[in-house]
Amino acid sequence: MAGSKDTGRGGDIAVVGWAQTPMERHTEKSETQLLMDVITDALAPLALTRADIDFTCLGSCDYITGQAFSFVSNLDAIGAWPPKRDSHVEMDGAWALYEAWLRLQEGDIEIAVVTGSGRSSTGDPALIYPMEMDPYFLAPLGADPLTFAALQARAVIAAGIADERSMAEVAVRSRGKGDVDALMAEDYIRQPLRRHDVPPITDGAAAMVLATGDRARRLVERPAYITGFDHRTECHNPSFRALDDSPSTRLAAEAAGLGDGPVEVAELQAAFTHEELLLASVLGLGEGVALNPSGGALRANPIMATGLCRIGYAADHVMGGGHRALAHSTSGPCLQQNLVCIVEDAP
Amino acid sequence: MTRFLASTITFPYKRSLGPVVGAFMTALTERRILGIRNGETVLVPPMEWDPATGAELEHDFVEVGPAGTVKSWTWVSAPSEQHPLAHPFAFALIQLDGATTPLLHAVDAGSAEAMAEGGRVAPRWRGTRLGRIDDIVCFVPGETPETEGEDTGPAEQPVERMDYLASITYRNPVPDATDRAVEASKDHRLLGLRCPTCQRVYAGGRGYCPIDALELGPDCEVELPHAGTITNYSIVTPVQYPGQTETEPFVRAFVLLDGTDVIVPYAAVIDLPADEVRVGQRVAAVWASPAEEIDEGGGMGGAWGALIGWIPSGEPDVADPDLVNRIF
Repeated sequence: MAGSKDTGRGGDIAVVGWAQTPMERHTEKSETQLLMDVITDALAPLALTRADIDFTCLGSCDYITGQAFSFVSNLDAIGAWPPKRDSHVEMDGAWALYEAWLRLQEGDIEIAVVTGSGRSSTGDPALIYPMEMDPYFLAPLGADPLTFAALQARAVIAAGIADERSMAEVAVRSRGKGDVDALMAEDYIRQPLRRHDVPPITDGAAAMVLATGDRARRLVERPAYITGFDHRTECHNPSFRALDDSPSTRLAAEAAGLGDGPVEVAELQAAFTHEELLLASVLGLGEGVALNPSGGALRANPIMATGLCRIGYAADHVMGGGHRALAHSTSGPCLQQNLVCIVEDAP
Repeated sequence: MTRFLASTITFPYKRSLGPVVGAFMTALTERRILGIRNGETVLVPPMEWDPATGAELEHDFVEVGPAGTVKSWTWVSAPSEQHPLAHPFAFALIQLDGATTPLLHAVDAGSAEAMAEGGRVAPRWRGTRLGRIDDIVCFVPGETPETEGEDTGPAEQPVERMDYLASITYRNPVPDATDRAVEASKDHRLLGLRCPTCQRVYAGGRGYCPIDALELGPDCEVELPHAGTITNYSIVTPVQYPGQTETEPFVRAFVLLDGTDVIVPYAAVIDLPADEVRVGQRVAAVWASPAEEIDEGGGMGGAWGALIGWIPSGEPDVADPDLVNRIF
């Protein structure tokens, strides 16, 4: 499908490798140090060096780092001399990947590296995120992510898509530990959410290597070809959205070609248990699909890298012998903006 | 053990409200709540555009409430410093009478048991209202609005702007290379790090070679000279903003260290009036006295610790037309 102009489809572009840092509650490394390590770790198994990279795109967030233009110091990690083609998105690394995927479709370059990085432990997420909300109606109230998640969970439960028990089951499966009955006996931290419904705070970074055409096939035996990629957004204020639905996810999945065939694995960026149930419902993922075998965002939630890790795990499935996998990333309160990426064993 | 430095960043935003949000905020000072008509629906809070299509809406305002119905809620048992109430409360989606969309606000209900979908609530107004969403302190159960304290009346002029103070405290790790550079500066040493691959030298506590993407450890340390030449400078006329401590124009100079390729950027000058600074001027390092407090962290230009600035050395100027190009 090389050269296809269909939105969301096309290009003989593949994930050929990726790496992530240890996922920790509190790292002593700076964001630049995390990136220095993880880019080296992604390139080394492919016998590539920084000099081989034709394009980089980094995803990070100044608000989390606590420094204006923090991506400038992060450039120390990519070896940008002689001057390189480089870009940055104030988004999860999954959106950095989207930009690199578009850039590679120009056809004049072969290798791109994308990263996502964040040190959530630098500040208090419960106090930082309200400042990113609507500045007139929401930020002055300190409307925080836990509140929005609780309100969406209530809507998803009311719609019959989830209940508190199925949410606890998601938590137990994702984290590979715990007992549903015991978790259900815990107190609410923000009704109807209990501690197990909520993601951990995680510091970490991920880096991914993309390659085109024959170059990808020379680098690895089974490249994970990106055969569909799309992202859509909704209105910024959750007051105006149906919280028991995710039309932007549905549209992105349609555009990415989810309906063209079955997937074996779906890696969903569901930081809260009810989000996984809602997304699986909207995407129509049935019994045969393995949901978040990595443990998902409930096991490790390195904000700005969580989505890129989902695509990494989906690519691992294909590179390890699988045929087709879906990865999803999200941004904004109550799943405002959603990205869907399909990876396959053939272009 | 890595050292962490806490810093608080404060942004005192002044936000323009525009014709729709401004009308809503002005009405709040009059203890009235406005929605905007969008076809068959009434949007509260009002938007300038249809949230589904982006089409601009006529400024057809509709007074709603003041009471409304709880459509959904969650209980906040441990409020943060940013929340409207200091004691446990509910955040609720409240559909005000006459509106077709819900407004997020706090409900002072006493306990979670007092909250229910379908429950009726009314606003508790602040006595002194500024034209902000928190002119409504919160909602309270029942049909009857309340006012907290003495009512000082509506705004005299339409409200066109709102203040929003964003303040965040961060704790960042100080890289080892920065710690070593600051420690060395206390002994009046200017530490550099030489990249083993490209041989370039970095100073100011920068612990990487950005060209080779290598971390530079203590084995890469070199001593740098304490004399240099001003390559370029700027005279900064301070603009007054919250936190600004400067009042008079001041110099920020870029100093090329003798016999090296190292630039000390954004450096302060000492005993050198702004109208006498020149490209090519020879300068020497000035160190803080042991009693002086020094910057243990660092900023955009690097971490220099006890190196507080540069003073004219009295040597003849360097005449090199290329000097002015060196700021990195």
